[in-house]
Amino acid sequence: MNRAVGATVLAVVLLTASPPHRLTAQDSQYGIQGLGTPGRGESVRARSTGGAFAPFDAFSPLLEAPLADVRRLAAGVTLGTSWRTVDVAGTEASLRASRFPALVIAGPITRRIVIAGGFGTYLDKSFGVLTHDTIDIRGQPVGVTDEITSDGAVADLRFAAAARVHSRLAVGVALHGLTGSTRLAAVRTFDDSLYRTSTAREEIAYGGLGGSASALLDVTRDLRLAGWVRSDTKLTADVRGRTASTTDLPVAFGGGVRWRAGTEAVVAGAVAWRRWRGAGPDSHDTFSWSLGGEVGSVESPLRLGVRGGQLPFGPGGRAPTEFGLAAGLGKQFSGGRGRLDFGLERLERKGGGLSERVWTFVLGLTVRP
Amino acid sequence: MTPCPRPILLPLLLAIGACTERITAPGACPDFCPRDSIRLEDVILDSIIVRDSAYAGYLQGYQGEALAVADLPGVDSRAIFLMNRFTEVMPDSGDTTRGPGIVDSSWVRVHIARRDTNTANLRLKLYRLPITIDSTTTFDSVAAEFGAPPLDSLNVDSLLARPDVVDSLTVATWGDTIRTDGAGHVLQFSPADSTLILYFRLDTLQAPFSVADSGKLAFGVRVAADSLASIALGANERLDGATMRRFYHYTKMIDSTTDSTVSTSLLRGATFDNFVFDPPTPALDAGAVDSTLVVGGVPAVRSLVRVRIPAFLRDTTDVVRATLLLVPAGPVPGAAGDSFTVVVRPVVTDIGPKSPLSGSAGRATVHIGSADTVRIEVTDVIRAWARDTTAATAFVLGQIPEAASYTQIRFYSSRATARRPTVHVTYVRRFPFGGGTP
Repeated sequence: MNRAVGATVLAVVLLTASPPHRLTAQDSQYGIQGLGTPGRGESVRARSTGGAFAPFDAFSPLLEAPLADVRRLAAGVTLGTSWRTVDVAGTEASLRASRFPALVIAGPITRRIVIAGGFGTYLDKSFGVLTHDTIDIRGQPVGVTDEITSDGAVADLRFAAAARVHSRLAVGVALHGLTGSTRLAAVRTFDDSLYRTSTAREEIAYGGLGGSASALLDVTRDLRLAGWVRSDTKLTADVRGRTASTTDLPVAFGGGVRWRAGTEAVVAGAVAWRRWRGAGPDSHDTFSWSLGGEVGSVESPLRLGVRGGQLPFGPGGRAPTEFGLAAGLGKQFSGGRGRLDFGLERLERKGGGLSERVWTFVLGLTVRP
Repeated sequence: MTPCPRPILLPLLLAIGACTERITAPGACPDFCPRDSIRLEDVILDSIIVRDSAYAGYLQGYQGEALAVADLPGVDSRAIFLMNRFTEVMPDSGDTTRGPGIVDSSWVRVHIARRDTNTANLRLKLYRLPITIDSTTTFDSVAAEFGAPPLDSLNVDSLLARPDVVDSLTVATWGDTIRTDGAGHVLQFSPADSTLILYFRLDTLQAPFSVADSGKLAFGVRVAADSLASIALGANERLDGATMRRFYHYTKMIDSTTDSTVSTSLLRGATFDNFVFDPPTPALDAGAVDSTLVVGGVPAVRSLVRVRIPAFLRDTTDVVRATLLLVPAGPVPGAAGDSFTVVVRPVVTDIGPKSPLSGSAGRATVHIGSADTVRIEVTDVIRAWARDTTAATAFVLGQIPEAASYTQIRFYSSRATARRPTVHVTYVRRFPFGGGTP
């Protein structure tokens, strides 16, 4: 066990030792023309169940109400690395990125009230596009290569409070501060050496606000329902102190159900709607669903999950779709004061003549000192 | 039992794999590319050249890096050079004993730094000139000496047609193979390049030793050919001027009753070299200064050109190519097939014709006889000026090599509205970050 802990700590160090901008990497080509690729807001436990456990997991920054069950100070961190293959018109490209999608720190301040803080990824905005063309300059055809890159993300800083108002009912609210930046570069190189390379660089700062509320209702001892709603204002993009654009952010709501099927089996399902339609051209409202389960002891469970849904940005009148399978393991140590979670997810996205296949490895560490 | 290493290795390998990031993919445009693209614009700026003028007198012919020698319709140019003094008492190297020397013969060496390989039957003629030649010597003042029979002449084409002399003694003496003719002229290829080094062999009548003149001698070179009689000889300014080796002997006393004859040689370089030509470079009068930008000739003429960078180039663009377009006022006179270089050198600070200059920012080759528009790539300097608002935005047009040729080009100045200098600029518009791709 000590060896596994050491290895995990080492992996965490290696994953986080890189510059911060590398830890907020891209997720999809579908986000290039839109605002970006929405973050998951899921811990490793929730991710390994396809997202089905997210509404019931205190360390998934999706709902606040589950925080009410945190009885002592605890912190959870999630790291991930994705290997992505993009296929467009028969041409494949292999991409790789690492990220630091979620951190949650929570603890009770009274017997009934728990507060939490942390961050998650709201929008991944890292991408790079390379194009080749031949254009006519001064009456001569000249080959050009354009590379446009964006490196950064919008983070969701969350301050949440939850309370168990009844033995069967917990509620929570949160304020969300959206902040982040991207470093963009547009580089054109010419095949003809008479033309100098043109490089333009800029940094865009993003800002926005949001609020959310959620509730958990224990219908029976084994059946729990979750519901949530979230509304974000507008995302402003500032370039050199000037607001370059303002974009509507979605209202979202969703729910879930969890059934404890014995002492060593839990299954859950979740759905969510997000109204992205106002976020610019080629944006779509999305619906997503997930189904997953956890079997085994609390100390070392096995998790499986499946998810499906839509992506908010993509060309044409129909939203791109995604479908994924996930699996994971957990291991509790130090008498329950620490927990390691590993997960592996396989996603397929399709739409607009492009498809993506993504393998994602996620690693989570939860500590209850 | 050895514990299984896999629990350790798996996350470790994954973490190491995550240490590299690759986020750039081939673009599937337009659907999966940023909405905005890099936009290129192309414009000819016809009013950014302002307050331009020509100035003369930068370098004289004797300061040039080459000596133009030509005999062409419309121009006759001749090289002249004065050899250093030759002491009456010959030093005996390594021995304190000295004695009177007797000159036996001499070599005069000249280097053809540039020639037209299409020239047929190229001949060089060596003339004796008075040792009074100096910077005031003109074409006319030495016309009589050049009108006399030459001291010697050699045919370059004949020498080139001769076989290499490759015996070991020759190679040991000359340092390389040579070609020689029956008159004792020697041709060698320069070890640094493929240019030609020529040696005239002169006897004591052709190159006498005069005590009164301290052994000084002056020579002139003319060129002749069936066509395209134009060459450039190396000059002192490039450490490539004419030299003279005098072979002499003297009697050395071994003891009070015994002597021996010592044969040796001394090398002397030219203390002055120049070229004189007819007709002379046209005067840079007010009319020429007003209407044209003059470059080249002897004395060397340069043109100072000031550039007014438009605001849009500074604020919203990235210049990727800039070409200075200069329209000649007419074909450049000179030897057909010849050429020279016009160079753009930005000023460090603009204090008029004496402005200090930085290095070359662009150059173009001008062909004799052509009146085509001269195009000089000045991308780097225009880019620099667009970004640095404190820079002096002026440059000087000069000739390379300067004052080494009678050739001169005249471009239309900014006062010539229809044919004024212009700058063809290709630029990339500032990418609309934060607009189409919020």
